[in-house]
Amino acid sequence: MDKNLNQVLLHENSRVGADYTRWKNGWGGQGLKNALDHPADIISMIKDAGLLGLGGSGFPTYIKWQAIADQTNTEKYLICNGNEDEPGTFKDRVLLEETPFQVIEGATIAALACGINNIVFYINPHLETCHEVMESALAKWLASDIYKDALQQGLNLKYTIVASSGHYIAGEETAAIEAVEGKFPFPRGKEPRPTTSGVHGCPTLINNIETLCNVPHILRKGVQWYRDLGIGEANGTKLYSLSGDVLSPGVYELPMGTTLTELIFNYGQGMLVGKQLKAVFTGGPSNTILTEKDLDVHLDFKSVAERRSALGTGAMIVVSLGTGIVKRVAQYVDFFAEESCGQCPACKTGTYYMSQLLGEIDTGEGSKADLDNLVDLCRILPGGGRCHLLDGAVKVVDSSLYHFLDEYEEALSHDFN
Amino acid sequence: MVKNISYQEALANYKAVAERPLPEVNYEGLLEKYHPDYFKDACVQLKVGANKGDICHVQLAEMLQADARIDEADLAGAQVIETDILIIGGGGAGCAAALTAAEAGARVLIATKLRLGDSNTIMAEGGVQVSIEKEDTPQQHYDDTIRSAHRPVDKKLVAEMVMSAPDVIRWLIQQGMQFDMDEYGDLLTRKAGGTTAPRVAYFRDYTGLEMMRVLKEAVRSSEIDVLDYVPTVELLSDEDGHCTGAVLSSLHDNRYKLVKAKSVILATGGIGRLHLNGFPTSNHFGATGDGLVLAYRLGALLRDLDSFQYHPSGLAYPQHLSGTLITEGVRSAGAYLLNARGERFVDELLPRDKVSAAIMRECAEGRGVDAGNGIKGIWIDTPGLELNHPGIFEARFPKLIKLGKKCGTDPRKQPLLIYPTLHYQNGGVIIDEHGQTNIQGLYCVGEVSGGIHGRNRLMGNSLLEIISFGRRAGIHAAKYSPRKPFRKITIEHLSRLRRELTLAGMPMDKQGPILFPAYAKFETDSDYSGLHKNSKE
Repeated sequence: MDKNLNQVLLHENSRVGADYTRWKNGWGGQGLKNALDHPADIISMIKDAGLLGLGGSGFPTYIKWQAIADQTNTEKYLICNGNEDEPGTFKDRVLLEETPFQVIEGATIAALACGINNIVFYINPHLETCHEVMESALAKWLASDIYKDALQQGLNLKYTIVASSGHYIAGEETAAIEAVEGKFPFPRGKEPRPTTSGVHGCPTLINNIETLCNVPHILRKGVQWYRDLGIGEANGTKLYSLSGDVLSPGVYELPMGTTLTELIFNYGQGMLVGKQLKAVFTGGPSNTILTEKDLDVHLDFKSVAERRSALGTGAMIVVSLGTGIVKRVAQYVDFFAEESCGQCPACKTGTYYMSQLLGEIDTGEGSKADLDNLVDLCRILPGGGRCHLLDGAVKVVDSSLYHFLDEYEEALSHDFN
Repeated sequence: MVKNISYQEALANYKAVAERPLPEVNYEGLLEKYHPDYFKDACVQLKVGANKGDICHVQLAEMLQADARIDEADLAGAQVIETDILIIGGGGAGCAAALTAAEAGARVLIATKLRLGDSNTIMAEGGVQVSIEKEDTPQQHYDDTIRSAHRPVDKKLVAEMVMSAPDVIRWLIQQGMQFDMDEYGDLLTRKAGGTTAPRVAYFRDYTGLEMMRVLKEAVRSSEIDVLDYVPTVELLSDEDGHCTGAVLSSLHDNRYKLVKAKSVILATGGIGRLHLNGFPTSNHFGATGDGLVLAYRLGALLRDLDSFQYHPSGLAYPQHLSGTLITEGVRSAGAYLLNARGERFVDELLPRDKVSAAIMRECAEGRGVDAGNGIKGIWIDTPGLELNHPGIFEARFPKLIKLGKKCGTDPRKQPLLIYPTLHYQNGGVIIDEHGQTNIQGLYCVGEVSGGIHGRNRLMGNSLLEIISFGRRAGIHAAKYSPRKPFRKITIEHLSRLRRELTLAGMPMDKQGPILFPAYAKFETDSDYSGLHKNSKE
């Protein structure tokens, strides 16, 4: 048994499904108990542990938590974001399906730390099993002794499970707020921030499922233990969703900062027979590219960013020689174009135009002017939308142009007349 | 090695006699000892795929667990064609599905490996089972089918099939098909082996050919698009595992075409050309089991993979015609089977598996005819039948007289040497009553599907099955397909296959589907260079 693999979030003590007894007999409730004993210390512990937003942003979690805790409103919301819909990302699905109590306990501690009284589990409707497991686990949680103890210590919480709209865009923070309010998930403008005015105008904390899952363990085992889990400067563990042309795709929980080589060739058991590695698309919220020369990169937010790429959700889509990069990028941009909500003109027309250009170039009908236009679009589009969808679409094109410009040029039509 | 009796000596032993009572026959252990399905080492356990752990014929298992022919890189720049319903296979089942789907308003494309109508349907001679006689009922048809199956069948499918039979015949007549009739215009019927009533409607001894003639004309004069010479090398799927189309390999220009379809109906027929256990086959050239391989890779569940039908009366001699079918209709009409001593040794109207096993027993125990070069067999007493019913061959079996001419003999005067021939794949892809598989968007109809015949198919049930389920699938697909959106087309499922093969430690040197038998030497006798590529092993 590899001691680095599945140490915490996917440890067998966590993967108990909706079996409350197994959770309790394992390490269930210990984090919450420590949190209840010292509620004022929670945020500083999260800060010292260096917990980052694992839904793709890598933003320090404690900053959001502190902002919510500072608000004096009586009604506050926590949205546990399980909308997960990016190509190649499937980690939250595993957490919701197999570790529901870990999710619930993490959310409860977050609520305790920030003075939140409404917890919403916001889950993609396509993940039907996740809904079933969470419903069953939540019912057991509400009847549990752990929860009853918490009530006695003054915790006052309302839990709900809400199905998101199933759109990609619904995972965006402000879109999630709209959806929880029962509206179509149109992302809102940048101000006011959800931390001051979110669901029904109340301060709203939005955390990814994986982020919340780490919380009970930090409270249970302490800050230093968590920091030591990571490699180098990175802290904790990360769930990597490995897919594509590898022998054993799947979700692997490994120390944050594990190298790409180790992920692909050790845990993924290497490339599929007869295949040679060409590139890795890192997934969500955009898809940037790593190539063969980046195999030594440590998979943490900072190290990957240094390679002009992004760790995102930890999705690693491995493609082999023989796979057309332009075709792949065209598919991803098609995805963004289809998922654009159409609110912002730059996004609505920009993603569509990029998708058209990519389609033409991929089918050998593109001209030099088309490629020039594509490059220009990568320069002028970013920041043109309220949410990150447009930027994500641009990022994948930009990243592929940076690494594989020759493939784009080769695909251009050659008019010899 | 047991020595059989020489051809000349056996011929001298033979005399045409009108009446031959059946001696007492011991049937105990017959199938277990002599039927090829029971041969030791004939079956293995599948190691990968949806049927992992199930028993399967060793040659079929090799194909189901072979690597794919294509890779993502092969599809770069391939032409993409869109249609509501893609039908793979241009035999009876495919045409019936196409005609009903088109009639219901769907856009239909038929892709055939060779040409429209090149199929086992045209080889079917005996007829179509339909319960229409006064002394018969659909219940009897149902009971006969289930009793002769020698293994549990999907009763719902059998019930749907027997109940639809009269309507199938009516539809075929409406399409223009001819049947033999009496002077009042009522359909003539004959009795099939293993049945309790005369139930087989027929046209001469080329019922299937007549059926295919009509269906082919109907397709050609409809709006249905037909692509000939495009064997399917792979199905397409999306991330949810739905079947979303197919990859065709054009023999004309040696290029791949992608068909994006909302539903795919596999009607690819059987597996005879794999020559299981070294047997000759009555099957059409294209019967290489492609459909089973394609469906299995997408995750479709199969059944009864260890069971094949060996038709008792395949021509054994002369060698170049070996495997050619002599219709069961000849036995239904009263022809005896005789060993080299000129004796009857089996009730000729028992189910096919038992009759075949009895023939093999005669040859294994030295009572068969040895025609040299390893050719063995027993007689089918055609002169005796002519003696009993003068003129019957002229009227009802003209094709057999023609076959006799090819052999340089007249079946009315000299008996023909026969030996069991690989005839039919009893199992196949599991379907529901609409022909749907467990894979969304994928239907299977005809011989490629399984569940109706158990271990043994009755004569006349296959022509019935192809039309009955071909039409049902056509109607169902047409009802649901046009409103559905197109889905993504990928070959992601091949990565899953390759992963499973590698992890199971399986060799990946063979590729499938094989498309054509290895002895198809297209490079020397065809303009189509692509065939050469496609016939590689």
